[in-house]
Amino acid sequence: MSLYANPTKSSPPSPYLPSACRIEEALRPTAKEKFFRLAPHDPHILNYSPGQFFMVGLPGYGEAPISITSGPDEGCIELCIRAVGNVTNAIHRLEKGDTLWVRGPFGRGFDVEGMAGKDLVFVAGGIGIAPMRSLVKAVIKRGGFGRLTLLYGAKGPEEILYGDEFEGWRAKGVDVRITIDRPSPGWKGYVGVVTTLIPPLDIDEGRTLAVVLGPPVLYKFVIWGLRHKGIKDDDMLLSLERRMKCGLGKCGHCQINCVYVCQEGPVFRLSELKGLPEAI
Amino acid sequence: MEENAQYLYITDRGFKALVKGLLKERRVYGTVRKDGFPAFKEISGAEEIELVQTPTHLSAKEFLFPQREVLLKFDIKDNTHEAVVEAGDQAIIGLHPCDIRAIGLMDRVFSCGAQDVNYLARRGRTILIGSDCMPDRYCFCKSLGDTDVDSGFDIFLHRLKTGFIARTGTEVGADLIRKFAGPRMPSPRELTELEGLRTRREGSFTATLEAPPEALPGIYAMSDESPVWERIGSICYGCGSCNNVCPTCYCFDVRDEVRANLNDGERVRTWDGCTLDDFARVSGGHDFRKTRAARLKHRFNRKFRYLSGRFDSLFCVGCGRCSRACLVRINIAEVTNELIRESYKK
Repeated sequence: MSLYANPTKSSPPSPYLPSACRIEEALRPTAKEKFFRLAPHDPHILNYSPGQFFMVGLPGYGEAPISITSGPDEGCIELCIRAVGNVTNAIHRLEKGDTLWVRGPFGRGFDVEGMAGKDLVFVAGGIGIAPMRSLVKAVIKRGGFGRLTLLYGAKGPEEILYGDEFEGWRAKGVDVRITIDRPSPGWKGYVGVVTTLIPPLDIDEGRTLAVVLGPPVLYKFVIWGLRHKGIKDDDMLLSLERRMKCGLGKCGHCQINCVYVCQEGPVFRLSELKGLPEAI
Repeated sequence: MEENAQYLYITDRGFKALVKGLLKERRVYGTVRKDGFPAFKEISGAEEIELVQTPTHLSAKEFLFPQREVLLKFDIKDNTHEAVVEAGDQAIIGLHPCDIRAIGLMDRVFSCGAQDVNYLARRGRTILIGSDCMPDRYCFCKSLGDTDVDSGFDIFLHRLKTGFIARTGTEVGADLIRKFAGPRMPSPRELTELEGLRTRREGSFTATLEAPPEALPGIYAMSDESPVWERIGSICYGCGSCNNVCPTCYCFDVRDEVRANLNDGERVRTWDGCTLDDFARVSGGHDFRKTRAARLKHRFNRKFRYLSGRFDSLFCVGCGRCSRACLVRINIAEVTNELIRESYKK
């Protein structure tokens, strides 16, 4: 039995075919990151939720998984991309008016409705602030949450992303606390890794959800700190970074034990990662 | 099992006519002896095929999931992408039951969720013709359930002293047999000969697993901390041969290849292997499976545990190819037996 008889006529479109996006704005907020606002030709791909990602590519270079930094329903896609490899370095050479190619959105993002009514503690390390911004904007837009606290750690003042937006978030009730890893001339804020901001927090552990986004090294220490504050594994949400080649649950690169991060994740409750020793 | 399968007798000449008929309309891959070893190869005449009973070293997966295949063509200057589906009519002759089961698993992988049009188009235009096997010392499909298949093929051939018993698994297969092979009903003596062949095969397995297949996911789940992983990790070359030869290893890499004019090129996918060094490394340099032991554990678990929930099946078909190909003689059945014995002690 053929899976389908006539592939040229009845087969679905190739899931590997990317969709073109015009770059409406290209900014360089730090030496390592570039920020893009994209207008997609296909409006369907604007239907994303915070925490999801796109496979972002350039012909001749390939694709890389990039999380979304814009809030939902903003009519555009914003990406904050750090130049770390072949693909992302090539993307950094793009400017306003150029075309970027995306597939997606992929994966399971944050269930903002399901989080309503809770106190939220957002913990972001480094580039983790990019997907966190999408969630913070969604939360502010919806309203109906308890206390909102953002802990954000960057290596130095020159690496802080979205510094010009934090005042606006504070005005909407988000307690934004920023720390840098090492002392720096002129810096008057916190110094130390982001985990140092956890112990002083006043947390009502029964009604608090913690969201942790950052590089793989961050998780162990932040989880340890949050557990000490009485937050249960069921109340910790985190997003896992993995190598990905398809976004479709096929290429195998993002597999952790039984789960495909691109399908069941990238956002997980910590309790869901129990029994997955390679997850963190 | 017998409801769908129809038993027919065809002569040697009928088989040749069938191959000849297939060759008129499609590419045909069949088993041959290449430097003395059984292998699949594209053939141009029926006389080239030898239905070798021992397993081929390489599986037939390359005909459905090529080692390198084009997914897209792009033109950088024109800023265009075009989807490419490379599929033509083809037939594979000489698949053993393990190969057929493996193709069934690949079908599930590539049709689950997002439809992988590249695989599925090719699969939809492929005729599968199975043939009898005889186990060597690495084969252990018997321990995983069944040494035979009753579906998943268009035609299955059982070699008799003269002629074949043909079973048809699809309408397409039945039509082909009728059209080319001049079938008749088999005589009782021919059916008895078939039963004799089956009995002989059943009694020929030397490699066996010491636990039933349904117990294997649980046994692997108990074996995360087993010293076995460190031991086999310490001798593994990390060469990826096991991934290459496995009929159910489907992991792939995707990369862009640009032509010398630096303008047009192709996005291609190539086989990848979870036992290779950088398989799980992310851009910041963090590697989620740093050691060969961790990578082997991942591969073995994929075959016996990780995918069983997702696809409702073990992903090892017992063909023994990875053991046969391993340069340092890591044997999947022996490793599994060690884990089984350890689990009994717990």
